[in-house]
Amino acid sequence: MPQIKKSDEKFDVVKYFLQLLEDDKDMSSGIAAIKTLLMILEKKQFGTIHILHTTMREAVAAMRKTDLSIAAIVSAGELFCRFITLSLDDKHMEECRQIMLNRGKIFLTKLLNSRQVISQQAQRFISDGCRILTHSRSRVVLNALIAASKNKKSFHVFVTQGGVGNSGEEMVQDLQAAGIDSTLILDSATGYVMESVDFVMVGAEAVVESGGIINRIGTYTMGLCAREMKKPFYVLAESFKFSRLYPLNQRDLPNEYKYSRKHLNDVSKVHPLVDYTPPAYITLLFSDLGILTPSAVSDELIKLYM
Amino acid sequence: MREQPLKEVTQLIHAIKMGLVEGSYSITNKTLDIFKYIIMSKSWQSADALMQIVRAQSRIMQAALPQETVTSNIARRILKLTREEFDLLQAKVQHFADDSQASLSLHKLVTQTSENSVSVDYSIPQQGLREALLDHLQEVETELETSSENISVQAEEHIHSSEIILTLGHSRSVENFLKRAIKKRQFLTIIVAECAPACRGHNLAATLANEKNVEIIAIPDAAIFAMMSRVNKVIIGTHSVLANGGLRAACGAYTVALAAKHYSVPVIVLAPMYKLSPLHLCEQDAFNMVGCAEDVINYDSLPARDAKVYSPKFDYVPPELVTLFISNTGGHAPSYVYRLLTELYHPEDLEL
Repeated sequence: MPQIKKSDEKFDVVKYFLQLLEDDKDMSSGIAAIKTLLMILEKKQFGTIHILHTTMREAVAAMRKTDLSIAAIVSAGELFCRFITLSLDDKHMEECRQIMLNRGKIFLTKLLNSRQVISQQAQRFISDGCRILTHSRSRVVLNALIAASKNKKSFHVFVTQGGVGNSGEEMVQDLQAAGIDSTLILDSATGYVMESVDFVMVGAEAVVESGGIINRIGTYTMGLCAREMKKPFYVLAESFKFSRLYPLNQRDLPNEYKYSRKHLNDVSKVHPLVDYTPPAYITLLFSDLGILTPSAVSDELIKLYM
Repeated sequence: MREQPLKEVTQLIHAIKMGLVEGSYSITNKTLDIFKYIIMSKSWQSADALMQIVRAQSRIMQAALPQETVTSNIARRILKLTREEFDLLQAKVQHFADDSQASLSLHKLVTQTSENSVSVDYSIPQQGLREALLDHLQEVETELETSSENISVQAEEHIHSSEIILTLGHSRSVENFLKRAIKKRQFLTIIVAECAPACRGHNLAATLANEKNVEIIAIPDAAIFAMMSRVNKVIIGTHSVLANGGLRAACGAYTVALAAKHYSVPVIVLAPMYKLSPLHLCEQDAFNMVGCAEDVINYDSLPARDAKVYSPKFDYVPPELVTLFISNTGGHAPSYVYRLLTELYHPEDLEL
């Protein structure tokens, strides 16, 4: 029986996590969270599963405290904890750890590949000469658009500024660097451009159990506009963003999702950062599990957490 | 290297193009016969080789007949069958990790032990595969044969006495379904939209009129909206069902569905399982087909000289407008179609 050692080396969860994101700007916070958790599994010794679980939960809690959007961290963390429970057999603790590490690596490579898989699926939907509207900056959407442009498709992308932070501007720069025609528009111009686009393609911070999405504020407005003008509304999201929430309206979203940490004490005067788009407004979800209808999402989640 | 079509495949393509083989059912049946012939032939030694032949032949059919999705559907069924049988036989020889759920899922993503459990080596020759496949092919054939019957037995659950039913064109499933309903229920009124320019609705109206105890009304397509206010149920067939639950149905189906929506009339679509196709509506060019324009305006008529005439064959009906699908296995909501598809086909076979 291996002894319970109090952390063999001091391992600063938050520092490692932030460092990962710092080193690779293109990394999603969900992936970074899973990498961090895997690192803990590797670095530390655990006497019992219970200790392992609490350590993991503490680590997730620590990462939640960083000033990043927490949706992906929460869902990835939960997926990872589920992954631990599912890999338990009545084996020796050290054996279990090896199995987990082994599985974890495979799991991670799969997740790292998911963006490629998604952009591959989206290719057939981006036709030559089409006009696309997207909201702010999403790495998955960017990836898919660049892949399409490499496939010798020419199309035009409208990008909204995306409110606070102006990340839409960054998106336009990225698109133009890849040689894709793009226009930066005001968030309030969504309704104006909607009639001229062929479809809407957005990313997501989290996909909830109903099949709806949580994404940067303004996505819901875009969904409403798209529905009114009968334009398809496509969402690109990796499967680790599937989370176990079932919001019925905007108010149902937990405050940690909606506001940055410094405002959590008093949210009455600040603006929310994300909104919830119900499944009724989403045409299809592209994920690494395939092209899903919103109702397929809950099926996937039930299969996993049952 | 370009794949060469088999003689049987060329013959079938020719027959379909000439209109000698018509209707999804007979096309599916004929395609299944070809695949059965391929399985029986000695040209393959391993599951992998068989799958390659099946893929190649169905690709040829797909290219020649882009609108007939049933040929690819049945090919996908055969591929899935081959995989399953092979796995089963392999499992008998060597102990195999349970791979009962072949489809991709979050659950599998999390629990997978090693990379190679995903990809099975199909190139090993396997004793008894041919026999097992032929055995199961029999099941598929029976399913195909009984599909129309299995759909029509559900008629009583959906049609009640003195109801007014509207249908469009002439679908064989709908014909059997309605005949069954007429036998079981009294005072039905059936409105048949003719579905111009082919006007196959006339045939349906004529066949149904032979039955007793029923009132048949044939109407022009333009009168669909006008009649809809008094209709209790719309029952239509479809050419194929897409992955999102949308329909690719005869031109005019969208009109019917929209009118039904306006008056909140339920739309029931009869679709046997072989019409379920894992495709999404994205390649607009391949989606529709234009038919012969002669039926719309005679070539020798005066306006034909200057007018541009189109006669599209299909309509896309979005899933929101469909209330219920009735297949040979029961009734399903459009949002459930994706689930049926994961049961029916293997995810790796979606692209042939």
